[in-house]
Amino acid sequence: MGRYVIRRLLQFIPTVLGTMFLLHYVTSLGIQFSGNPVRAIFGDRKPTEEQLAAMTEKLGFGDPCLEQPGNPCFGLFVDRLQDIFLRFDFGINLQKEPVTELVSRALPHTLKLVLIAIVFEAVIGIFAGVLAGLRNGSFWDYLVKISTVFVISVPIFVLGVVVRQYVGVEFGNVLRGQDWIPEVISRGVFGAGFIADYPTASLVIPGMVLGAVSLATTARLTRTSIMENVRADYVRTAKAKGLANRRVIGVHTLRNSLIPVITYLGVDIGSLMGGAVVTERIFNVRGIGSLVAQAATSGEASVAIGVVTMLVMVFLLVNLLVDLLYAVLDPRIRYE
Amino acid sequence: MRGKTLKVAVAATAIALFATACSSDGEDTTENNNSGGTLRIYASEPAFLLPSAGDDEPSILVIRQLYRGLVKYNAETGEPENDLAESIESEDNKTWTVTLKDGYTFDNGEPVNADAFIRAWNYTAYGPNAQNNAYFMKRIAGIDEVSGEEPAAEELSGLQQVDDLTFTVELKEPFAGFPAIVGYSGFFPMAEACLADTDACNETPIGNGPYKIDGSWEHDQRIQLARSETWAGEEKGAADVLDYKIYADVDAGYAAFQSGELDVMYTIPPARYQEAKQQYGDRMYEAPGDSFTYVGFPTYDERFADKRVRQAFSLALDRQGIIDAVFDGRFTPAEGVVAPTFDGYRPGVCEYCTQDVERAKELLEDAGGWDGEPLVLWANAGAGHEQWLQAVGDQLKAALGIDYELKVNLQFPEYLATADEKEFTGPFRLGWGPDYPVVETYLYPLYGSGSDSNSSGYNNPDFDALIAQGDAAADLEAAIPFYNQAEDIIVEDMPVIPMWFSKIAALYGENVDEFHWNKISDAEYGKITLKNS
Repeated sequence: MGRYVIRRLLQFIPTVLGTMFLLHYVTSLGIQFSGNPVRAIFGDRKPTEEQLAAMTEKLGFGDPCLEQPGNPCFGLFVDRLQDIFLRFDFGINLQKEPVTELVSRALPHTLKLVLIAIVFEAVIGIFAGVLAGLRNGSFWDYLVKISTVFVISVPIFVLGVVVRQYVGVEFGNVLRGQDWIPEVISRGVFGAGFIADYPTASLVIPGMVLGAVSLATTARLTRTSIMENVRADYVRTAKAKGLANRRVIGVHTLRNSLIPVITYLGVDIGSLMGGAVVTERIFNVRGIGSLVAQAATSGEASVAIGVVTMLVMVFLLVNLLVDLLYAVLDPRIRYE
Repeated sequence: MRGKTLKVAVAATAIALFATACSSDGEDTTENNNSGGTLRIYASEPAFLLPSAGDDEPSILVIRQLYRGLVKYNAETGEPENDLAESIESEDNKTWTVTLKDGYTFDNGEPVNADAFIRAWNYTAYGPNAQNNAYFMKRIAGIDEVSGEEPAAEELSGLQQVDDLTFTVELKEPFAGFPAIVGYSGFFPMAEACLADTDACNETPIGNGPYKIDGSWEHDQRIQLARSETWAGEEKGAADVLDYKIYADVDAGYAAFQSGELDVMYTIPPARYQEAKQQYGDRMYEAPGDSFTYVGFPTYDERFADKRVRQAFSLALDRQGIIDAVFDGRFTPAEGVVAPTFDGYRPGVCEYCTQDVERAKELLEDAGGWDGEPLVLWANAGAGHEQWLQAVGDQLKAALGIDYELKVNLQFPEYLATADEKEFTGPFRLGWGPDYPVVETYLYPLYGSGSDSNSSGYNNPDFDALIAQGDAAADLEAAIPFYNQAEDIIVEDMPVIPMWFSKIAALYGENVDEFHWNKISDAEYGKITLKNS
């Protein structure tokens, strides 16, 4: 077990380095082909040569290799790695704020959002999947099948905008007209987006929107898995032993059926953090997603690299945790 | 009358109920001529809260409440009026003597004296500080010595303290508009403690205005200002608290407005404009704006060297048609190159700015026709300019039979670099916002020989001479005729096709009693009053 964990951790190193290099290369190419992002700060007003040079140097876009299209800028990459791993310096953005500060400000919002999304999709998704899987061909099965197809086929930005308008604005306005409804519900939960006064309540609906697409997949996965396992030999044995139906389903069937679902949920934490780019913008949540989106539009290479590197680490760690969870669910799985 | 006032219709009881329900701070309003309460304001994240660095709209809208400068602009006429200055005088328009009113202080108790202005302007101008507003100091004598990466001097030689409340400003060239430009937020004073630690002052500004910061700048979330007790000026802030709520996306901000989270919103998402007008028509403030969109000609390209070609292109365009089709009618077609809100604006000065296809054909014919190569129209990528530029191309093709192609793949930084290096191969779209309320701001920076923002490469000694004459005139009143003549040259020579000027559309909520807007400095949040419940 310990050796397994150490081996996995060592495998992180090439993955992280590889990702960072790819990111570094892509952002360098972006600057090489679309020009010094500092120039855009000045807009229609042309800065003097010295002014431009001073700002460029300060923001770390001064390396001459950034002017040679196609040059992979190895020197700059090594500098960057040293800054990040030796000095824990992720660079600064165009407003001269350190990336570490930007991330520490944004991270709590995204963590809350992702947590709400995961809980929502796990609880509702597994429940709906079990319901549909046990009563194959029933009304509930069709309801789950049809609604999941519907949710999967609607792009998240459409879903988000529709929910914001009809749940947050229209329905929320009706609630806000009632005196007996507490503000935490009428303004917080059913607000049109993130509100600083209610930092958690106002993330509930955005979190549900974020989790909606994965919820459908979770429900589908659980359904198939349950349908397979209820016919398995060990379930028949358990039934034959005369165990109560609740125990047969709840412990014997569900535990095994959840392995693919847990794998999916684990991988999903990573993609939810990425998917937050759209949801966070729609609901004005100033988390990691909007940070990445903003960095991409303004060409802030250091922000994009810093944030995505941290995301990759989270992704890898969560996957390691998921792999370790297998042993809990299925005693046959052992780690060497 | 001071300030533009829009009385709001009396709200129905039901709506008043709703308003109280959604304003958490409604209870601490005070009975003081309809003032008090918290004004909740739509904002986007400012770049900087330091007057020397903030040159974008979101920054300036906050800075203007925290700080005050030598002059302010009359909301109706746009003319500069003394604010902190007792007088700003000059005999030759070159050396100006500024006398300050006594008794003003910064939030930390430091006096607002001559030194507060001198140190702020020196800091802004000093090259290594790389402050965005250094550009605005370029008229002051000694600027060349302090700019650059390794400047020869640390302080502007043109700034001299006379006594505690008096200082002199020597300009490089005479400029009658000096008292008008110092109302720009880049000329606001800064406290000694602020310059000692500019990073801290950016987060927790030490201002000298009617409001002071409450807490500090909560990045990406909100900026809260509270009325300052130390403000010695006449106009106290109306609302007790200004709560700037920061949105990354204007659509999210609009949804927040609709759900009663905001009282004022100075901008409306383009796609929601019609809907907003229907829904909040009586609570929408609309006025002509001053930001200018144009299609420039690369006059350094010999195909565009003949002014008849440029005139013909301009005559081929139906501006109102494009505005209606692409922008829901949200712009004012340009009738010259000066915004309609400016003193010195004259309607209809540009005779080539209304569509006249016959005349366009004739002019192009006289100039020798078009060589048959497709015309390349330039715009930067990703900012939504393709659509209207395509309409321009279609109209040119329909009127003059010139094939065109769009070149819209450059990101903004590279696009601007192409403009700087004069490498456009065809007409290009660009915009311009005024720097100060003097019509000169629409002329010299864009068309002066060798001017920084002169992307068309236009060069005309007569034009430069008229601008210089205007700058040296006795006062702004006397300067305007010269600037007008300079504008006449531009609309005849057409180095750019003037397209349109912006229109302002701002929304305010049921809680707002009187809404104020300043035609020069935009939203006047400090003057907006709220209804008492």
